[in-house]
Amino acid sequence: MGKDSEVRLSIPASPEFLRLARLAAAGLASRMGFTYDEVEDLRIAIDELCFSLVGNAGRPGTIVLRYWMEDDALVVEGVGQFEDGMGTSPVLSPLSQQILQAVVDEHELTIGPDGPEFRLLKRHDAA
Amino acid sequence: MSMPEDERDELRRKFEQYSRSRDSELRDQLVTAHLGLAEYLARRFANRGEPLDDLIQVASVGLLKAVDRFDPDRGLEFSTYATPTIVGELKRHFRDKGWAVRVPRRVQELHLRLGKVVSSLSQDLGRSPTIGEIAERAGASEEEVLEAMEAGRAYRFASLDAPGVAGDDDNQSLASQLGEDDALLQSIEHRVALSPLIAELPRREQIILHLRFFEGLTQSEIAGRLGISQMHVSRLLARSLAKLRGSADED
Repeated sequence: MGKDSEVRLSIPASPEFLRLARLAAAGLASRMGFTYDEVEDLRIAIDELCFSLVGNAGRPGTIVLRYWMEDDALVVEGVGQFEDGMGTSPVLSPLSQQILQAVVDEHELTIGPDGPEFRLLKRHDAA
Repeated sequence: MSMPEDERDELRRKFEQYSRSRDSELRDQLVTAHLGLAEYLARRFANRGEPLDDLIQVASVGLLKAVDRFDPDRGLEFSTYATPTIVGELKRHFRDKGWAVRVPRRVQELHLRLGKVVSSLSQDLGRSPTIGEIAERAGASEEEVLEAMEAGRAYRFASLDAPGVAGDDDNQSLASQLGEDDALLQSIEHRVALSPLIAELPRREQIILHLRFFEGLTQSEIAGRLGISQMHVSRLLARSLAKLRGSADED
């Protein structure tokens, strides 16, 4: 399975829609046999990165999320497309960095052509 | 919300006075006089999974706004004016807290059982169970399990401002359960440099945050070490993170 199993989700860039972003990730992770702990980690990571895109109160615009499987890992990419301009480059606080390091295997937050974007990769540790 | 005529006249006078003077003592009196209305409306939103106390608090915020914005010269009764403002505040509360999507009763019930299922399975398997395993044990579908995990989260964020859930505030006893108390707390203090907000979290949440994100323990391991359920760890972690985020945006 690779990009042919890609899932796309576009949600308003507002905190109350993040549950959909988490649910989609959890649904795919569950399909891949992720454990309860791993699913919880994934949800924390998605929250952390999405909040870093939209802030606590949300922004006018959308977040476009793409999810796909890579071998034993789930990859999630999110791009913020905002109506209030690109703003400054997003920065992860040291605390966010620390949290993300603990819960996912790879993460990055960058500024892309359409707006700020993130990518995370979470491996499933086959027991 | 009927009240005697003379009391109503008295309030009307106070409103007129307040709309000119903005005197905070008058404001208090006006708010207090109408708390019954706030509570009455809050009750109509009860049974949706939110503690009534929280709802009354939200309704009171709506009431405050209504008192501030009410223009007695327009000839409208205050309760007529305030009701939509308070209801609006309650509705926004539910919307903001992610309950916009109604959580079906079956999922709510599953959420309540989830903690036990996860911990008994973890014990049987000696590792964190997969979602499929949880679903099988709970007699539910995987989707329902995932929804139930989310339901917990929506509720957790909702109760953020509420004083701790029962049994949440015994930070002392938790710290005393940890053998290496001092060393642990000391290293937590180092982490505080990362975010001073960590210091404002209850001690118990600091410890969990530390074990999870700095020591790299899994939620199940923390649960085992602290002798609390995995769901509880998950709930406290989510709450800490929301708090750190929430406060972070205020400055």
